[in-house]
Amino acid sequence: MTVTDVPIATPSPVLAAARRRGRGLAPVLPALALIVVVFVIPVLALLLRSVLEPEPGLQNYAAFFASTTYLKVLGNTFLVAGTVTVATVLLGFPVAWFLAIAPSFWSRLLFAIVILSMWTNLLARTYAWMVLLQRTGIINRTLMEIGLISEPLPLINNLVGVTIGMTYIMLPFMILPLHATIRSIDPAIFQAASLCGASRFQAFTRVMLPLTASGIAAGALMVFVMSLGYFITPALLGGTSNMMLAELIAQLVQSLLDWGLAGAAALVLLVITLAIYMVQLRFFGFGQARG
Amino acid sequence: MLLDFARLGPWRVALILIALLVGAYLLLPILLIIALSFGSSQWLQFPPPGWTLRWYEELFEDPEWIASFLTSFKIAAVVTVLSVGIGLMASFGLTRGTFRGREALRALFLTPMILPVVVLAVALYAFFLRLHLNGTFFGFVLAHLVIALPFSIIAISNALERFDRDIETAAIVCGASPLEAKIRVTLPGIRLGLISAAIFSFLASWDEVVIAIFMASPDLQTLPVRIYGTLRQDLSPVIAAVSTLLIALTAGLMALAAFFRKDARS
Amino acid sequence: MTFLEISNISKTFGKVAAVNDVSLEITQGEFVTFLGPSGSGKSTTLYMIAGFFEPTAGDVRLEGRSILAEPSNKRNIGMVFQRYTLFPHLSVAENVAFPLRVRRRPAGEIARKVEEMLALVRLESFADRMPAQLSGGQQQRVALARALAYNPPLLLMDEPLSALDKKLREEIQDEIRRIHRQTGVTILYVTHDQEEALSLSDRIALFNQGRIEQLGKGRELYDAPRTRFVADFIGHSNFIDCAITRSEGGSADIVLPDGGTLNGISLHGAAVAGARAGLMIRPDRLRFSPLGEGAEPGIDAVLTDATFIGETYHVVLATGWGASVNVRIPASRIRPQDLTMGTHVRLHWEAGDARLFGQ
Ligand SMILES: Nc1ncnc2c1ncn2[C@@H]1O[C@H](COP(=O)(O)OP(=O)(O)OP(=O)(O)O)[C@@H](O)[C@H]1O
Ligand SMILES: [Mg+2]
Repeated sequence: MTVTDVPIATPSPVLAAARRRGRGLAPVLPALALIVVVFVIPVLALLLRSVLEPEPGLQNYAAFFASTTYLKVLGNTFLVAGTVTVATVLLGFPVAWFLAIAPSFWSRLLFAIVILSMWTNLLARTYAWMVLLQRTGIINRTLMEIGLISEPLPLINNLVGVTIGMTYIMLPFMILPLHATIRSIDPAIFQAASLCGASRFQAFTRVMLPLTASGIAAGALMVFVMSLGYFITPALLGGTSNMMLAELIAQLVQSLLDWGLAGAAALVLLVITLAIYMVQLRFFGFGQARG
Repeated sequence: MLLDFARLGPWRVALILIALLVGAYLLLPILLIIALSFGSSQWLQFPPPGWTLRWYEELFEDPEWIASFLTSFKIAAVVTVLSVGIGLMASFGLTRGTFRGREALRALFLTPMILPVVVLAVALYAFFLRLHLNGTFFGFVLAHLVIALPFSIIAISNALERFDRDIETAAIVCGASPLEAKIRVTLPGIRLGLISAAIFSFLASWDEVVIAIFMASPDLQTLPVRIYGTLRQDLSPVIAAVSTLLIALTAGLMALAAFFRKDARS
Repeated sequence: MTFLEISNISKTFGKVAAVNDVSLEITQGEFVTFLGPSGSGKSTTLYMIAGFFEPTAGDVRLEGRSILAEPSNKRNIGMVFQRYTLFPHLSVAENVAFPLRVRRRPAGEIARKVEEMLALVRLESFADRMPAQLSGGQQQRVALARALAYNPPLLLMDEPLSALDKKLREEIQDEIRRIHRQTGVTILYVTHDQEEALSLSDRIALFNQGRIEQLGKGRELYDAPRTRFVADFIGHSNFIDCAITRSEGGSADIVLPDGGTLNGISLHGAAVAGARAGLMIRPDRLRFSPLGEGAEPGIDAVLTDATFIGETYHVVLATGWGASVNVRIPASRIRPQDLTMGTHVRLHWEAGDARLFGQ
C-alpha cells in the first residue's frame, strides 16, 4: 500500500482522491535531477575510481589496509570520535537534565547559549579554540600564572586539541535530543518510585537511566558518526602527524593526487557511516537522525 | 523527585555546577572572540591592553574581504531561492504523491545531510574538474544547493504534513482553482515552514566551507574559504572581527526565527 | 420539481463498495439529512456531489444538468466540513470574502455581502478576529457564512457540529434551522446523531452499508420502519424472537418460544412459514397490567427492574423464556406500588404497534 503512512484521523476527501496510484511524481523531478547529477553520480564516480585507478582491481584497498600509516589514521579517527562521544554524553546528560527541570529563566538562558553556539559559524568557533589552546594562549598562560605548570602544555596540533574542539562542537547535538527525551518523562513516575521506597540513586539507575537509554544511544550514535567524518576542526586544531580520515581523503586528493586511494578511503568512511546510520534507523527511526 | 528541581537534594548542587561549567564552556569562546575583535593587541592578548576598531577598519578596507563577503552572500541568496522553490515542489510530491518509492526518494534527498561532507567535496571537485565548474558561481550554487535542499525539504514537508488538507479543499469548494487554492491558502498556511527553510538554506550555504575549499579559485572565494586560508597562516585579529560579524548575523537570524515562531503562537 | 437528482451512484474503493447504487431526489429548499452508522457511505455520497470523488457509476444532476464533468471549484456548491477549515491566516471577514474574491467580484459588492453574511450568522462584531481567536462554534458559524456568501443553490454539511459539545450543538442547530428558513437554500446534511437529524430535517435518508435503507420524514421512519435496521437505529425497540407459522400478504401469524401464539401481525421483509423473525414493539407502546385482566395480544412476564428517569419510568421485564423487554411508562400513569419486583404481569399493545421483521 502506498498510503499507510499518511496520518489522518478521518479520511480527508482530496487526500483520498489523490490516492490513485502514481500521482505527484512531476514536482519531485527537479530535486531528483539535482540530487542525481550533483550528488549520486559524482559520489559513485569517486567510489568507482577506487577500483579503476590506476588500474582495475582492489589494490587500493589492499594498500589502504596494509599501510600502518593509514591504519593509524583510522585508529585516530575512532579514538577521537569515541572520546568525543563519551565526553558529550557525560557533559550533555546533566545539562539536558538541568534544561528540563531548572527554573525557566535559567533553563531558557542555557538553552539560548546552546543554540547560539550550535549555529555560530564553525570556523569562528574553531578560531576561538585555536586562540585559547595555543602555546601562548589564555589557558596555558593562566595555568602558568597560578603555578600549576611551569612549561606550556601542548594543547594544539595534536589529538588533545582536536578532542576539546570537537567536544565543544558536538555537545549541542547531544544536549538537544536528550533534552527532548527527559522532557517526555512523566515526573509522577519518580513520585511513584519514591513511594515504592527507592532512594534517589536507585531512582536514577533503575528508572531514569532506562527511560533515557534510547535517547542517549541515539545521541551518541549521531555524535559518533558526525565526528568520524569531520574535516575542518581536525584540520585546524590537529597536527600533521596525527591525521583523521577526512583529512587523509582531502590530502590524498589535494597533495598526492592519488584519486584511487582517496576513493578507497572515502568508501571506507562511507561504509562505516552508513552502517551506523542503519543501526540508528533500525532502532530509533529516521526522525531522530538529526535531533 | 528526580524531575523536581526543588526536591533534588544534594544532586541539585552537582547539576547546577555542571550546567554552569558547560554553559561557560559553550559561551566563553564566543565572548572571547567578540572581546578580541575589539582588543588592541596584535597577539591576541587577553584581557586586551586597550580597545580599538582597527581590525574592523582593516576588514572593511580590504577589497578581498569585501569581495568574498559579497560572493558568499550572492551564492547563499541564490541557493536560498532555489532551495525553497525546488524543496517546495519536492515536498508537495513527497507528502501528497502516491507514486511508488516515495519513502526511498525522501531518504535519498536527505542523504547529503548525513554523508560526510568531505566525501561529497572530493567527489564534486573531481566531477566539476571535467565540467570546468570549479571556481565558478554556478558550480558553487549547484554544490551548496545539494547541501541546503535537505533542510528545505524537512522544514517544508513537516509544515505540509501538519497542514490540514481539508482547508485547501474548502478553498476549492469556495471556487478557487487548485493552483489558486495552493497559492492563496496552502502557502500562507505553511509559511513558517517556508521561512525556516529559507533561513536554514541560507545558513547552510553561507557557512559551508569544506566543499568551498576544494572548489574555490583565487578569483572566486567565499567568506569561509578566506577565513580558512587566513587561519592556516596566522591567527590575525581580523578573523576575530569577521567572526564577530558572523556571530551577530547568526544571532539575528535566530532571533528572526524565534520571532516568527512566537508570532505563529499568538 | 426535482432540484437535485442522484441516480444510481456507486463508489468502490478497491474492493470496498463505499456507496452502492444510491438514488435520491430532492426538491428546492428542502433540508435532507444523511443519517447512519460510521462507515455507511454518507460522506462518500456527499463528496461525490461536491466533486471530490468521481462516482464509479451513476449520475448527479442539479437543476436538470449533470454536474459530474465539472471540477469542484466550478460546481458553485457550498460546503461546511466536519473539521474547522477556516483559512487560519485570514480574518473572519476575509474568510467570508474569499469565495467572492476568487470570483473577482467588485469590492463594494464583497463588502456588502460580507456584512450581510456575518449578520446572518450573528457574528458582526467578530469581523476582524482571526480564526484562532474564535470558539469552535463560532468557527463553524463563520464557515457557514463563507459557504453561503456566493449564494450557492446547494449547501453540503458533513457533520459540522460533531466537534462541539452538546449544549453548543443544540444552539447551533437552532441557528442552522433559522438560516435555512431565512435563505431557503437547499441543504444536504450528514450526521450520525439521530436527534440532530430528527430536529433539523424535512426528510432523512438512513444509510446502511453503502445503501439508503429508508428515505422519509423522521416520523415515518419512527412509526413505519421498513427494515429491522431502521427500527433498531431510529428510537428504541424491543425485538422478541419468534417463528412464523403462516405468512400471507403483509401479515403473519407467529409462535413465541413459550408456545404462545399471536395472529395477523404486519410483516416486513420476505419470510415464509417456519422462518425465524423478530417481533418489534417500541418501549413506549407497551403496557402491562396485573395478571388475569387478560388483554390481547399479550405476553406474560415478570417485573425485574424499574427506574425513575424523570417524567417516565424505565421498566424491565423478563418473559417466561428469559428474554428481557423494555417498557417506558409516563410517571403520571403508574403508581410506585405497582412496580414491585417479581410481580407477574401481562404485556400488551395496540395491534398496529407491533411489526414483524424477517431475518
Ligand atoms: N478514500 C477512501 N479510500 C478507501 N476507502 C474509503 C475512502 N473513503 C471512505 N472509504 C470507505 O468507504 C466506506 C464509507 O465511508 P464514509 O466516509 O462515506 O462513511 P461515513 O458514513 O461518512 O462514516 P462516518 O460517520 O464515520 O463519517 C468506509 O468503509 C470507508 O472505510
Ligand atoms: Mg463521514
